[in-house]
Amino acid sequence: MKFLHLYYDIMNLYGEYANICAMERILTKSGIECQTDRLSIGDNAKLSEYDFIYVGSGTEKNQKVVLEDFRKYAVTLKAYIDRGGVILMTGNSFEMLGDKITDANGTEFEGIGITDFSVKEQNKKRTTSDAIFKADFTDRKLVGFINKCSEIYGIDTTLFDVLMGLGNKTDDDREGLRINNLFGTHLTGPILIKNPYFLEYIANLVVGGKAKINTKYLGFEKSGYEVTLSELIRRKSAT
Amino acid sequence: MKLFLTILICKLLHFFGKLIGKGSSLPGKIALKLCPDILKRVKLPEYIIAVTGSNGKTSTVEMIAHILTENGKSVAWNKEGSNQIEGVTTLVLANSTLTGKVKSDILLIESDERFARYTFKYITPTHYVITNLYRDQLTRNGHPEWVADAIKVSIKNNTRLILNADDPLVSLFGDGKDDVIWFGADKLESDTNYCEGKYDDGVYCPKCKKFMRYSSRHYAHIGHYKCTSCGYERHDTEYTVTSVDLDRGFAVINGKYNISLALKSLYNIYNILAAFTVASIVGIDENKIAENMSNYVMKNGRVVNFAIGNRKGTLLTAKHENSISYDQSIRLACSDKGGCDVMFIVDAVSRKYFTSDVSWLWDINFDMLNCENVHKIILAGKYCNDLAVRFSYTGINADKIKIFEDIRKAYDFLNCDRDEYIYTITCFSDKNKFLNLL
Ligand SMILES: [Zn+2]
Repeated sequence: MKFLHLYYDIMNLYGEYANICAMERILTKSGIECQTDRLSIGDNAKLSEYDFIYVGSGTEKNQKVVLEDFRKYAVTLKAYIDRGGVILMTGNSFEMLGDKITDANGTEFEGIGITDFSVKEQNKKRTTSDAIFKADFTDRKLVGFINKCSEIYGIDTTLFDVLMGLGNKTDDDREGLRINNLFGTHLTGPILIKNPYFLEYIANLVVGGKAKINTKYLGFEKSGYEVTLSELIRRKSAT
Repeated sequence: MKLFLTILICKLLHFFGKLIGKGSSLPGKIALKLCPDILKRVKLPEYIIAVTGSNGKTSTVEMIAHILTENGKSVAWNKEGSNQIEGVTTLVLANSTLTGKVKSDILLIESDERFARYTFKYITPTHYVITNLYRDQLTRNGHPEWVADAIKVSIKNNTRLILNADDPLVSLFGDGKDDVIWFGADKLESDTNYCEGKYDDGVYCPKCKKFMRYSSRHYAHIGHYKCTSCGYERHDTEYTVTSVDLDRGFAVINGKYNISLALKSLYNIYNILAAFTVASIVGIDENKIAENMSNYVMKNGRVVNFAIGNRKGTLLTAKHENSISYDQSIRLACSDKGGCDVMFIVDAVSRKYFTSDVSWLWDINFDMLNCENVHKIILAGKYCNDLAVRFSYTGINADKIKIFEDIRKAYDFLNCDRDEYIYTITCFSDKNKFLNLL
């Protein structure tokens, strides 16, 4: 199988390269060979060749630089999503998929228009929170961290329900973006490491029933997940 | 009258606060309530030196204070570590007369990088040192560019900047200014021509976002860089580390001042260089500065030597959520040719605020520990599982690694007849959980 880590050298805050490592390992442990291409600005990826694509989060300035390059994938990415290709976009990377991003100075940047939503940034305060999310595709809650300076308006097909943390906009109890097998979320960092059950779900989508996914090796991952989840629940009930 | 009363109250609160061991920000907080522009009304000394940046500001400030004091200057500085406006207000008022005149020759302020704009709204530093900008406490700070924007608005026109020329993001503060004082290191023997870390924040030019090229890397994105597009490049330096020998433990500044290192890391050398620069600007004889810095052992408790039974060790305080500080401590342990065991403790991610985020573990170059000098690796604390997962991606043989959730059990494991030197690497938030067991 072929993976693509797109904008690996610029959309890479918060140790996010590990999401690709987690995917490589779970497939390898399941007896499936996989190989990752790491591409960035100026490269021309043939998206249709890939079985899994990952894009991480970047600074607000870097996101705008990347957006200009990302624009060239508008058509091929739409085709990839339509055929059910699996893509994970964390942090502010999925903000590029909408109609526009307005930065803190009021400058508007056109998105690549995969779907209709708009993003507004500010530069006064970072909104941050530990998070517990619920998804409709798994009984296991997700844990993670959110760190952003934007509000997102107009997403109907959200990914998660917010049990703790931040939604797409202030006082929103829903977060992220889901279209077919596109998963966009403002959870940042190595979320596939921190959430072994989510990793298992994504891995199953990627192999599409062609192999059985091995999860036996995920002992420490599962223990770490339980510790974090119980810490967050304890914190939530204390506040 | 208002000035007099506010200063009096602040002094009294500070005095009693010290007696009961309370923090140093409350007196300043109350003073600011009573008189919001109090800092503007106080008469400040000739030199007001501010220090900010992600790493090394506390150590740099301590070193500057040490040199200046040794050379007969009186220095008011925030050694209690409160580095936001409240703490700085306490510092200023505690050191001023009741009529509002700061008694010291020099006011030396360590400033929190994110809140500097509030502190320097009323106080204009004569000199402003910016040490570096790294990925640091990203759960609160977002990312280094966000912090750079927060520092930028705190810089005033009539302040002279003292900048680390080797950090491209820091140097940008001096872009287009002609009175900046630059410090940095020449190409060093230990330099590489690639980035050793798990990520590279030096790939893209901070000014135009096109590719940068490094002719030499000291570590991470610190080195000699030049943009391939807009020409933005490392500035020549006035204060320079001209050579370093970490094995023998010395550094040379400006080709003639030999300084023996109490702590053999490049990181420490940058702090020494920044302190050297400031002391020289204030007019201290450079030979004296070199003497004062030679074998200087930090008093801020970040490096603690200890013994467990017959075994000796050193606790190195890194900062959780700060991969470069970990990388530097790890590099130090790995260079111990006598062989060592290395222990990591992650029990509380932060002592100041709640978070259980461990993303930062993935930015740390633990892979360096896969070397001959490192024998056993001990992972301890509440987040030992996350550490274990991280280490499973390093290629280090699992036989080398011991995992204990309970820090005491990790301690018991170390308390044996092994010969190896012990390095314990952890954060302020967790170090006492270990030191209290000794
Ligand atoms: Zn440039």
